[in-house]
Amino acid sequence: MNNYKRLIQPYVLWISIFLVLPMLLIVLYAFTVGGNDVLTFNFTLDNFTRFFNDNVFIGVLIDSFRIALVTTILCIFIGYPAAYFISKMNVKSNAFFILLITLPMWINMLVRTYAWVGILSDNGVINNILSFFGLGQLHMIHTEFAIILGMVYNFLPFMILQIHASLTKMDTSLVEASADLGASKFETFKRVIFPLSLPGVISGITLVFLPATSSFFIQRLLGGGTILVGNLIENYFVTTGDWNFGSAISLIMAIIIMISMYLTNRLDKERGED
Amino acid sequence: MKKKFGSKLFLGLLMLFFYLPIIYMMVFSFNGSKSLSKFTGFSLRWYEQMFANKSMIEAIYYTVVIAILATVISTVVGTLASIGLSKSRKVLKTYVEQVNNLPIMNPEIVTAIGLMLFFTTMKIEKGFMTLLLAHIAFCIPYVMLSVTPRLRRLDPNLADAAMDLGAKPSYALRRIIIPQLMPGIVAGALIAFTMSFDDFIISYFVSGNGIKNISILVYTMSKRINPSINALSTIIVVIITIVLVAVNLLSMKKAKTNKVAQRVGLVALASCVGLTIFGLQKLRSNSGGNFDPIDAYGCDTLNVFNTGEYIGEDTISKFEQKYNVHVNYSLFASNEEMYTKLLSGESYDVLVPSDYMIEQLLQEDRLQKINRKNITNFDNLSPLVKGLAYDPKNEYSIPYFWGSVGIMYDKTKVSQEDLEQDGYAILKNPKYKGRIFVYDSERDSFMIALKNLGYSMNTSNLNEINEAYEWLRGLRANDPVFVTDEVIDGMINGEKDIAVVYSGDATYIQMENPNMAYYEPKEGTNIWSDAMVVPKNSACPLLAETFIDFNLGEKIAYENSEYVGYTSSVQKVIDKLQAGEFEGLSSYIPRSGYDKDEIFNYNPKIRKVISELWVKVKAK
Repeated sequence: MNNYKRLIQPYVLWISIFLVLPMLLIVLYAFTVGGNDVLTFNFTLDNFTRFFNDNVFIGVLIDSFRIALVTTILCIFIGYPAAYFISKMNVKSNAFFILLITLPMWINMLVRTYAWVGILSDNGVINNILSFFGLGQLHMIHTEFAIILGMVYNFLPFMILQIHASLTKMDTSLVEASADLGASKFETFKRVIFPLSLPGVISGITLVFLPATSSFFIQRLLGGGTILVGNLIENYFVTTGDWNFGSAISLIMAIIIMISMYLTNRLDKERGED
Repeated sequence: MKKKFGSKLFLGLLMLFFYLPIIYMMVFSFNGSKSLSKFTGFSLRWYEQMFANKSMIEAIYYTVVIAILATVISTVVGTLASIGLSKSRKVLKTYVEQVNNLPIMNPEIVTAIGLMLFFTTMKIEKGFMTLLLAHIAFCIPYVMLSVTPRLRRLDPNLADAAMDLGAKPSYALRRIIIPQLMPGIVAGALIAFTMSFDDFIISYFVSGNGIKNISILVYTMSKRINPSINALSTIIVVIITIVLVAVNLLSMKKAKTNKVAQRVGLVALASCVGLTIFGLQKLRSNSGGNFDPIDAYGCDTLNVFNTGEYIGEDTISKFEQKYNVHVNYSLFASNEEMYTKLLSGESYDVLVPSDYMIEQLLQEDRLQKINRKNITNFDNLSPLVKGLAYDPKNEYSIPYFWGSVGIMYDKTKVSQEDLEQDGYAILKNPKYKGRIFVYDSERDSFMIALKNLGYSMNTSNLNEINEAYEWLRGLRANDPVFVTDEVIDGMINGEKDIAVVYSGDATYIQMENPNMAYYEPKEGTNIWSDAMVVPKNSACPLLAETFIDFNLGEKIAYENSEYVGYTSSVQKVIDKLQAGEFEGLSSYIPRSGYDKDEIFNYNPKIRKVISELWVKVKAK
């Protein structure tokens, strides 16, 4: 089978150009100043000191990670039981529910998010129903609640699908063995099922946490101008045209994300060694 | 039994959560009015509009074509690369695996700007190719991710045995290896297709020159949402559901062997083939007169870059019909965005920027002179917009729409006295706490603060700007909501009592909600004007001038102004609408000759300062 070795060569060239080079450019921009005509090579740390010396930027960064964290936790708590219940069903309903969950992903994310504006707004569907029953009004749109709801809505399917995949792939004989050996249902779940499904949870976390930190239109539509780190990056690239500073912000965000992902994965491994 | 009920209830609620917005969207695709929160009666107008809307049809077409091409290419390349990779040295393997992780583990926005910087640095013009390359680049890693696990389970002896028996490596690959990898390949292709079909962030940063997918279209449209996008989504849902039912019926026989992946795969295939054919047909059904535009103008395609909802409903198609040309119509959200797109290497034939931006483009020598001979309707222009300071002789720009910035208020809830007394400071009046929309524009927000403080809005005094910044920070105590064009729907529905709006939007809002009124504060305001210009790198200046002239024609100018609500630059149209459709609406005729009103000047230093301060105003 060594005949196939050379199949990789063109691909190595391709990723070096289309994946590695762009990342290097971001790093280059982040450590230089001097505008959009690059390759002047004025190396500097100015962009980073500018960011970390400003409480507003730090605040935005903290807000973004806090919202992404809340979103991820909610997705685990909603997504796990959902995936668990679905995996317990017979083959047909199993497939049916997975289909129901994947179907919305075919409709444009922005369109689905925009629909929430009409549902959550002060004169929207929910408030109309509430006032019909004389229950007063709930102010939901343009709040942090709305942003988190929008993110959970958009990213929850990824979590469910990941956990579901790891639950259905699980060796059922282990579960049976645990029951045969006298473990209660809860204990079986705690000591057998949950640890075995952990890889699914971890990849679910990746698929939710990443887009949640870098999203920029969910908060734009549902948050009423809330600024999170994705908007900062967009602002510096699209509006202000300061690509150097925008690259520095992206780099800071990417590094923090990498560290948190590394820690999450460590957590998984340590648990496995127990 | 009880437990089962609990889990069913949970899943039921979850499905409600997933499908509520979709049902909502489907219902409102049949709405009689433009509103997205009030259902005013059944109608099919958005479906008609969708099929008539060329940029939407094009967006569908590009989305599907890009998705199909990206899927096919990335599946083939990804599969072969995976096979090669499994036989490679460790170092190479680690390198490829780590790099493959970049687009998966990195936030999408980082991948996006990386690619944007790459294309710009390499001076590759953004468009179809860049979009396709970017999609292929981020799809391949996903394909490899789902093929590789299958490869590990593959018995290497099988291929070796085949070759021992005389099969060529390529034959063994086709007949032995690929078939065994098939489930992984199909799953990978599916992921690739879904990723590409729904992608927004990467596409947003790497596309240009009129090439856009559905996501980009929705994003630029959501400035003033157009319900025909609901119609489009409804059609997609219906197509998918029909295909699903069909596949289900077909697969009844082999019930259990059916896998979800295969099912979804068929759905994907069928729906995209359907959409492509539909898109292609629509694109083709676009031929007008029988003269050759290439003979007359040297080209048959015109790239127009305008703000969303800023032209009459049929103007573009009328122009295309009359001159037998194709118009690539793209939208930008702000002057700054337009400028950035120009910088990053996109070329257009007609732009519609505002006064200060035209000044900047002129200073940077990015515009070409307009040949007055080709603007036969020049004399139609109103004296109010002719010869403004940024282009005193109208050598480079032809005014299109103009207006002011002011306060829109609900007559039944806001006292006229407060308004007269406070002026712009009514935005800070605690009486109206939580009842305020502020337009998310750095320039106009700073204009309001500076005017209220008694300064010029064109100040370059940093102390004054800092004072304005503090003034705007102080606004936060009143809980304003920062919006862009959602303000239109919001005020029509009476969601807030006070809003900062452009005069043209005020006209539109008042037509729909008579409780609203428009006020231009005594501190003065920004009298702005937007004009059509031709960039230096336009490939088709003659056709661009023809387009500009076309929009100055009385009939077309009337349709444009009536549809969008903004004040026309054509005097006869102003007179006609003022006496007719927009009678009694002060917002249609912005204040003129008031000494505290100003026009924005271009000031690069201040632009960056204001832009950063505005982000800080909005951040907590």
